Amino acid sequence: MSRVGVVGIGHTKFGNLSQYDLGDVMAYAATDALKDAGFLERRKEIDQVIVGNMASGLFCHQSAVASSVISKMDMEPVPAELVENGPASGASAIKIGYMAVASGMADIVLVIGGEVMRKVTGWTGTEYVATMLHPEAEYNMGLTLPGFGGMFTRMYMEKYGLTERDLALLAVKNHANGAKNKYAHIQAECTIEAIADGPEANVVNTYVAEPLRMYSTCPVSDGAAALLLVNMDSPKAKLFSKKPVRIAGIASATDTHCVHNRKDPLKLEAVRIAAEKAYAMAGLSPKDISFAELHDAFSILELAISEEVGFFERGKSFLAVRKGETAIDGRLPINTSGGLKSKGHPVGATGTSQAVELVRQLRGEAEQGRQVADPKYGMAVNFGGFGNNVVAMIFAKD
Amino acid sequence: MIDFSMYDFKEPKIKAYKCEKCGTVYYPAPMICKECHSRRDPVTDKHWETFDLEGPCELLAWTRLWNLPEGYNRKFLLFGIVQFENGLRASGRLEVEKPATGMRLVATVEESDERPGKPVHVFVFKQD
Repeated sequence: MSRVGVVGIGHTKFGNLSQYDLGDVMAYAATDALKDAGFLERRKEIDQVIVGNMASGLFCHQSAVASSVISKMDMEPVPAELVENGPASGASAIKIGYMAVASGMADIVLVIGGEVMRKVTGWTGTEYVATMLHPEAEYNMGLTLPGFGGMFTRMYMEKYGLTERDLALLAVKNHANGAKNKYAHIQAECTIEAIADGPEANVVNTYVAEPLRMYSTCPVSDGAAALLLVNMDSPKAKLFSKKPVRIAGIASATDTHCVHNRKDPLKLEAVRIAAEKAYAMAGLSPKDISFAELHDAFSILELAISEEVGFFERGKSFLAVRKGETAIDGRLPINTSGGLKSKGHPVGATGTSQAVELVRQLRGEAEQGRQVADPKYGMAVNFGGFGNNVVAMIFAKD
Repeated sequence: MIDFSMYDFKEPKIKAYKCEKCGTVYYPAPMICKECHSRRDPVTDKHWETFDLEGPCELLAWTRLWNLPEGYNRKFLLFGIVQFENGLRASGRLEVEKPATGMRLVATVEESDERPGKPVHVFVFKQD
């Protein structure tokens, strides 16, 4: 297998981009990635474009978005296809792009992940996102993703002693990082006083799905992120000015569609298996990882994922958060970008956005105050469904 | 002769499935038995037994959901995951005053027209 590296990255600001066309949003991030790689003028030499998107048909009443992006970027006749894997569509698109390059079928692949969710109201958007649940046994009941997040949080609290204040500490940490990230949806810090300890906390930080509160739940965002992948063992790798950041490991795994059918609903088996496969592929273990981007659509998931990937013992991760071990200056910074909580979660873009953050950190290009000191390996976990289709990625600075 | 039975009131039910070959039970319906690999024909259910999933159950997890999706004109709804005595589990709505993990409940089925499309049958778990 050929080695695969990232030579260009692009990212829109996340937020409310509902006045823009989805294809324009994706093309903006993609052209940024091409400019970063110094390859904008030669874009028709790209062998393949892979687009990650979850639900443009629902949110934007638009299908075949890969064709739309190609035309907007004047890239015909470059082949382009769409990859859909719920909120893990972005990382799945990277995985398919990796497979194309590693197999030798392509040398240069452009991967774009994007979503515009805010053309519809939050009421409608919640309904659209819920369509990824089991249609008969979950969706029909009226359940939503925050509903499962709430139930998962309560199970974890009752088993391990996690408190609502612990969840608020995660929001404070991630907002501190997101406030410094130029791409983040919510570039504002929050204090533990405002969202947990103070007299107004119950008003500021209301319940969404008990015991999950607003500051334990990601915002609904629009945006896109893109990466240019290259075969590092091909002469074409010399076409690019930037030194590649190598994709050392990338793998995915699945779990039961119905959450209630998991033997232990607190175990995220797909996360564990995807991470183990990515570690094996990279020849690494959890202790080698310098920092991580973990899919905190609900704050509890940052904790549960950090345990499944082997950073902490089961039921102990929140103790590390209390000690500041996962803060930007801690021994293992997690969600240096602000995570989904502060940076935002345009579902189809999230995996590519996490990968862009890995590259920015490994290049040393993150903003002052949120740059990890000399990182070697970055890990990202992109969580599809309620953990039923998960992608893990490990990037390396060689 | 007119068949008036089609006008009879039909009580809402939710079906579970049992593989006749090995006896493994499922909810919701599988296509292949995980134990003996028998395939279920979704049209005839040949070689599969169906039964109503209802009755006593235990609450495993619950939440009060405040941001309901489109179609729900309510302030909030309670949801839970339960386990039945035969080991099957299900997700559904919860109608109890003070929910608590581990409490004994009884599963009932009601018709709901809140989701888009045709009315559907939903679990409502109530105080035993």
